[in-house]
Amino acid sequence: MALTPTTILTLSLLLLLPILSSAKVVEDEQFSEELLLKPLPDRKILTHFHFQTEAPISDHSFARHHHLFPKSIAQLVKKFHIKAMELSFTQGRWNYERWGGFDPISSQNAKPPGVELWAVFDVPPHQVDAYWKNLTHSLSGLFCASINFLESSSSYSAPKWASQSALGSLRYGTLPREAVCTENLTPWLKLLPCRDKAGLSALMDRPSIYRSFYHSQRLHLTISTDPADGLDSGIILEQTLTVVLQPNFQRAGISYPDEIKFQPSWSLSSIFGRKINGRCVLAKSSNVYLQVERGLVTQLENLEKNTVAYDSNDTGTEGLRRNLGFELSITPDRVHRELEKSSSILYEYSIKGYNDTEQFDLGLTWKHPVVWSSPHAPLYASRFLMGSGNERGSIAISLKSTDLTKGFIAANNVEEKYEKPHAVTDFVEKMSVSPSEDKVSPGMMELVLRFPCEIKSAVLNIEFDKGFLHIDEYPPDANQGFDIPSAIISFPDFHAGLQFPNNSISNSPMVSKLQEKSPVLSYTEVLLVPLTTPDFSMPYNVITITCTVFALYFGSLLNVLRRRVGEEERLLKNKDANKAAFLRRILDKLRGRSSESTQPQQPSTLSSSSSFITPKLFLKVLLVAGIAVIWQYYLK
Amino acid sequence: MLPDDMPCNPRNDYPSQVFNNKNHKLNLYGEKVEVDYRGYEVNLENFLRLLKGRHQLNTPRSKRLLTDEGSHILLFMSGHGFDGGFKFQDKEDLSSDIFADAVNEMKEKKRFKELLIMVDTCQAATLFTNLTSPGVLAIGSSVQGESSYSHHFDYDLGVAVIDRFTFYTLAFFERINLYDNDSLSSLFHSYNPRLLDSTPYYRKDLYQRKLEEVPVTDFFGSVMKTIHTDSAYKKFGRAITKMSLDESRILRNSCAADEDQSSREEYFEDGFGQLWSTIVRKVNTSFENLEELHYYALFCMLLLVAIIVDAVMQPR
Repeated sequence: MALTPTTILTLSLLLLLPILSSAKVVEDEQFSEELLLKPLPDRKILTHFHFQTEAPISDHSFARHHHLFPKSIAQLVKKFHIKAMELSFTQGRWNYERWGGFDPISSQNAKPPGVELWAVFDVPPHQVDAYWKNLTHSLSGLFCASINFLESSSSYSAPKWASQSALGSLRYGTLPREAVCTENLTPWLKLLPCRDKAGLSALMDRPSIYRSFYHSQRLHLTISTDPADGLDSGIILEQTLTVVLQPNFQRAGISYPDEIKFQPSWSLSSIFGRKINGRCVLAKSSNVYLQVERGLVTQLENLEKNTVAYDSNDTGTEGLRRNLGFELSITPDRVHRELEKSSSILYEYSIKGYNDTEQFDLGLTWKHPVVWSSPHAPLYASRFLMGSGNERGSIAISLKSTDLTKGFIAANNVEEKYEKPHAVTDFVEKMSVSPSEDKVSPGMMELVLRFPCEIKSAVLNIEFDKGFLHIDEYPPDANQGFDIPSAIISFPDFHAGLQFPNNSISNSPMVSKLQEKSPVLSYTEVLLVPLTTPDFSMPYNVITITCTVFALYFGSLLNVLRRRVGEEERLLKNKDANKAAFLRRILDKLRGRSSESTQPQQPSTLSSSSSFITPKLFLKVLLVAGIAVIWQYYLK
Repeated sequence: MLPDDMPCNPRNDYPSQVFNNKNHKLNLYGEKVEVDYRGYEVNLENFLRLLKGRHQLNTPRSKRLLTDEGSHILLFMSGHGFDGGFKFQDKEDLSSDIFADAVNEMKEKKRFKELLIMVDTCQAATLFTNLTSPGVLAIGSSVQGESSYSHHFDYDLGVAVIDRFTFYTLAFFERINLYDNDSLSSLFHSYNPRLLDSTPYYRKDLYQRKLEEVPVTDFFGSVMKTIHTDSAYKKFGRAITKMSLDESRILRNSCAADEDQSSREEYFEDGFGQLWSTIVRKVNTSFENLEELHYYALFCMLLLVAIIVDAVMQPR
């Protein structure tokens, strides 16, 4: 597979994006805002903002003004016939090992660095590319990013097996190097009815967000269909911001060694420097959730058992606000427990009752050191570059099974679909390779692999040749190298989704999103491939050399054409003659003879000059004598 | 146009913030910032396309200039310059004749009424030599053969934060009051070659109006103060607007009086007597100007093409 740098290799290992058009009747415009907080095992905290705006769709609805739904998005959907779209701006890398890879947050909101965009269009297949190009331009204007670089056909691809329903009308592209900063958040916030003036979005302190370890800002558009007649009934705009932050760990007694095991205690004001001043009045629901994940709940239960063994005075009836592991500063309004045993717990807070005078500032204080781990995806994937030199190289993808996989496989006997090197082709179920074509299309490879349960690790190795670019195609900082976008790994047989009892959960869009059965997705690293870069002063060197060659060529050509040999010889002879005459004249002068014979045409002048010589000489002699006399007189 | 991602660069210890001073009091990269062209998009081709209006069909509105023959445009460029040119991305050059051609084309296409070009580079004045279009006013931080220097070094961040010319321009605007009627002439005279370490040069032979009569708000956006009223506009609108105008008159007068006592003589000494009297006259007479100013301000906000190539200021 030849890898030319413009054609970015999208290595997708069974790309399966969660493109599910939700079957739901949207009757009215509505907006909801939610915030999910979740302590992570490595002393960090995940904050996940979720805003959802819905608007009904009808033939005349576009002409009128929307109350809550952003008009620019509605126009975008109408103009480009978008069926589904997702745009994400991310910086940092989701740590699948520590932050988990088997929960809805990680499979829906962990995104590759830079910009990722995919869209499904509701147009005939031959028009899809044109619509895609126009869409990238519109989005780049809307979100202050250079998304329009996805316009060139070598930077996006059309995955085949991503979604059966959207075959041929899906386009996917990423820009791994794209910077993400305040200017991207500003237009994103403008889409919210309360912007960042009120409600949960007022928490978004820019320096805190951009100082974080990982931040991903996402915009997801779906057209919901009416289950009754199968027609489009509304647009659902889902905006999420996922931030992984490190709470400031400030405690007086850091000295004793046990302290290091303590999770840092935090509050909203300590991580964002702000508090919630009340809800956005336009929102149907404004809730804050605190999720305690499965591993942590198990640990806490163990802790409780141990303590109960010591102390029979059981105080566990007070509810979960005051459990043994940690303490919450505010009593939750509701507590949801997952259906299965030892499953995650969701604390719900409604911020309806809070205002400027009584601000909402949820805090969590740890009482005991707890160590737990997040659920992992069946396989942990990492990708790296191999080979040296500027001629060829190879990309390796290593897949390692995680502990969780074994448990899963043992219990459920589920086979995984996955990908595998060409050594043993038994594991490959389907394979589709579209090699890159210079300046036309990127290289893309899709594989469906099925691994046996006992597999420990697998490595996929793809060799490529490095190509050359035209000098105009190099970016200004070409020596930095070229990025290869992340590969996507999807586990279609594994579904991440929390299961809460239907009656207990409120009708919250975020929680229903968490409950949705979406396939587990993970992204690999972005690779930086160094390429041979030409000496960019080459053109000038070439110009100089060419000019020299031309000068030499034309110079000698002219010389040859204009040169008359006979004439030159004659001139040469003349010159010799002149020289001879001159010498003779001097000799004549020395002899005191007039040169009348040689120059007969000027006899008078020459003769007069010869007659003048004697007085001149006389004068000179006198002058020298005078100088000598003066010398003699004045210097003695 | 921002070719570099300085605010969110990992090497910036203050993410999403850009400061004008090492005291870190003023964040130039506020919460409402938007950027139209960034990264590799900032190149000579896009710059010329933007000026001339020769865009591709699907270019969004935010990436177009959208100006007409009544527009006032401010073009502020900062970066690396050389004798007769300006550098883009360390790869391409904007030479003074290409620039003059582009401005000429803009004039022909009636894309501006007045254009103020401010250039903060080394040998900035050499970029203007070929300009011929009427209505263009140009100021550069240094003349031919001179370097422009940075103002000071921020040891906390490890870079020099601002150029001298930009620093004193910003200082001028930070100093003026909301209701001041400062003219371009007072801006141009506020530069001190000794402090700048270079000689600011301005070319006004193409510009018809007298600089003393052109308020800075013709080109620079201004934030107007909003006065909340308890009642709707319909009933009391007239009276309230008048009152607010009166208020502003008082403000201006008081401000004028203050300056009158303190610095009148200084102004006269500097040959600003005429300017001063025009300011005073304007302050006392024309109040319809306020809305006009707002109008101009809106126009100027339409385009603030600020090219900040690099915060590291070595002599360029």
